[in-house]
Amino acid sequence: MLANIRQRVYNADLKRFRFWLQLGFFVLFVYGGYLAINLGNSLPTFACGFNDQGRGGVCYLLPLQHQLSGSWERLFSWAGIAVLQGFLYFTLWFIVLNKAWCGYACPLGTLQDWLSSLRRALGIHFARYSERSFRTLTWVKYGLLALTILIPLAIGGGLLPHSMGTPFCDICPGRMIIPLFTGDYSQFTIDFSSKTSMVLTGLGMLITGLFFAGAFIKKRFFCFFCPMAALHYLVSKPAFLKLKKDGSKCTRCGDCYRVCDMEIPEIADQVDDPRIMKDDCIMCLKCVAACPEEDALKATFVGIPIFKATEEGFIKRMNKGADSDPS
Amino acid sequence: MTRPEQPAFHQSRQAREAESVIDQITDRFDDNPQSMAYFYDLFRSVYCRGEALPRKGMQIGTTCIQAPEELIYAVGATPIRLCNGSYHYDQIGGDFMPAKSCSLVKATLGMLNSENPVPRIGELDLVVNPTTCDQKKKASAMIEGMGYQVHDLELPSAKESEESRLYWQRTVRRFAVQLSKVTGKKMTRKALKAAMARTARAQAAFRTLHNLRKSSPTLFLGKDAFLVTNAFFFDDIERWTAAVETLNAELQQRQQEGFQAAQRKAPRILFTGSPPIFPNLKLPLLIEESGGVVVADETCSANRMLYDMSAVDEWRLNDMVDALADRYLKPCTCPIFTRNDDRQRRLLELAEGFAADGVVYQAFSGCQVYEMEQRSIADALSAKNIPMLYVETDYSPDDMGQLSTRIEAFLESIKTRKRKKRS
Repeated sequence: MLANIRQRVYNADLKRFRFWLQLGFFVLFVYGGYLAINLGNSLPTFACGFNDQGRGGVCYLLPLQHQLSGSWERLFSWAGIAVLQGFLYFTLWFIVLNKAWCGYACPLGTLQDWLSSLRRALGIHFARYSERSFRTLTWVKYGLLALTILIPLAIGGGLLPHSMGTPFCDICPGRMIIPLFTGDYSQFTIDFSSKTSMVLTGLGMLITGLFFAGAFIKKRFFCFFCPMAALHYLVSKPAFLKLKKDGSKCTRCGDCYRVCDMEIPEIADQVDDPRIMKDDCIMCLKCVAACPEEDALKATFVGIPIFKATEEGFIKRMNKGADSDPS
Repeated sequence: MTRPEQPAFHQSRQAREAESVIDQITDRFDDNPQSMAYFYDLFRSVYCRGEALPRKGMQIGTTCIQAPEELIYAVGATPIRLCNGSYHYDQIGGDFMPAKSCSLVKATLGMLNSENPVPRIGELDLVVNPTTCDQKKKASAMIEGMGYQVHDLELPSAKESEESRLYWQRTVRRFAVQLSKVTGKKMTRKALKAAMARTARAQAAFRTLHNLRKSSPTLFLGKDAFLVTNAFFFDDIERWTAAVETLNAELQQRQQEGFQAAQRKAPRILFTGSPPIFPNLKLPLLIEESGGVVVADETCSANRMLYDMSAVDEWRLNDMVDALADRYLKPCTCPIFTRNDDRQRRLLELAEGFAADGVVYQAFSGCQVYEMEQRSIADALSAKNIPMLYVETDYSPDDMGQLSTRIEAFLESIKTRKRKKRS
């Protein structure tokens, strides 16, 4: 009985499952507020706080920047406890799903997948990075994370003007795009109240433009630069959901690398260390679905396998692709 | 001038060579699966009676497994693998190659240069020659010299780097364009998708057969398995797949009945190295006549040819072609590449999965790359306590006596090891 259910899960059509789950999370985070849902303000995903009406919770980066921009005196006394508390809640949310927050829950990630579907429907080929660009650009997110933390801290120390209070939000495409879904166009403006606001929101406008253009031709374009992904990776060790690889079963055929939206080469090449989740990973599990080698890749939840590579599942899924019209 | 009277085909040397081997395969073993009759008949028809196979569209010969057959099918042509296993052609091919070179390459050249080649391949519209080992590389111009149109499929000599992957993808795309030119047919997304589905079905059938061989006691002998995969070289892909599916059903039946195709204690052998190609099934036959059983292989006439399957993310023409390129390069364990970590891991994984008691490593004399990899493979296996027999041989029957002594001794030593382990 249990073995039967397992087999069905391993043979599942991951694409469809993921589409519906992503849609569900999108509704939850973008429209949840209308249903009086509030999951707090430490969510490890881009549930944008600027979407006042509809938000079902708030992206942790917003309160984090707010808290850090308080004066140093307060920050290093009682306010510090609030920062730690926020970080604790963030970590607790995060360790449940690990980076699957990106691949399944993030509204901005889901939007990029929808843009990819649009591109596919138009018959346009996707772009890829060269290996060198990949290796260089992968550091951008750490830089952004550092700035997201250091700029508010500098404000608190009086080194930078207060108008830079939430620097990452100012340039985040999520702030402009997600409120659009509840009919709020107010973020789609350049803030002329001060010079710094003008520059930052102008930059935000530019990045939003890049977001649309980039995500249209490059799968999950923005995730590659996301400071949230960097923050995730720093606390991912104790996560319940894990992606593991048994290198001895791997033929290095590269099927996983082919389907990887984030183009992570290690997924195919690394055979000596079972911990395969890299900082760019969004845990969409497409690699597991595209692996023809029994047990070579698997996702486990507190050690229990919940989805793994099987030969049968692979053949089913790939033949489905071969029968149907372009999806 | 009148041509001298040709002897009847079945009396020719190559036909008689084939016939004696197929007789050996069928008659010296009991309990051959009934569904193997399809393959026995196929080989008798093609190799012994010289009957031509019905063909669809143009015929495109390939000299290595790296030529993506799906692309060939997608332009309505039929691929045929030219690698040959006949001693007769090996001798003819000796005119082209230095004395110490690979029997397989010589036999392929010899066959292509014969007036009456077996299998009866008929006119070839194109020969695709992946630039794998030096001997195959140099064979390219010789084949061209025989009057064939040759397309060199440029294969990188390292496969790990991103550069080699992109280089190979470009090679494969260019090949797709060339195929369209030769056949005058545009490659469409739909046709390629259908071709990939057909190959995927054949691969799925192969994998089922492959997995059935994990069963202990053995359901099926290796000599038959090699014949099945060998038939894939020239048989109609759909007929082949159907025949393998029938065979799989019979073997599943055998599994339920607790059938034993060999003695329970028969040493289980993993075969690697230079590919056994009919009629040169000398080594697998010697192993199984001496009481061993070949349970799995890592060779380009069987496992390496059919095992790895391609995954496509977006079913558009360019992504499909790139996916095929990847599938034909990345998992390939051919010794021509710089490193052989993948081959070592593959062998260890097969040895474990198929509970192999030992490995037989065949290297054709003159196949330097297999000869050179012998040491590293032996070391990797011995680190896991798996005994290996290294056999350097060629297509000539001269060393049969010597080989059978060595193989018997190897199998005997495995049996002793197993006995010691138990006690």
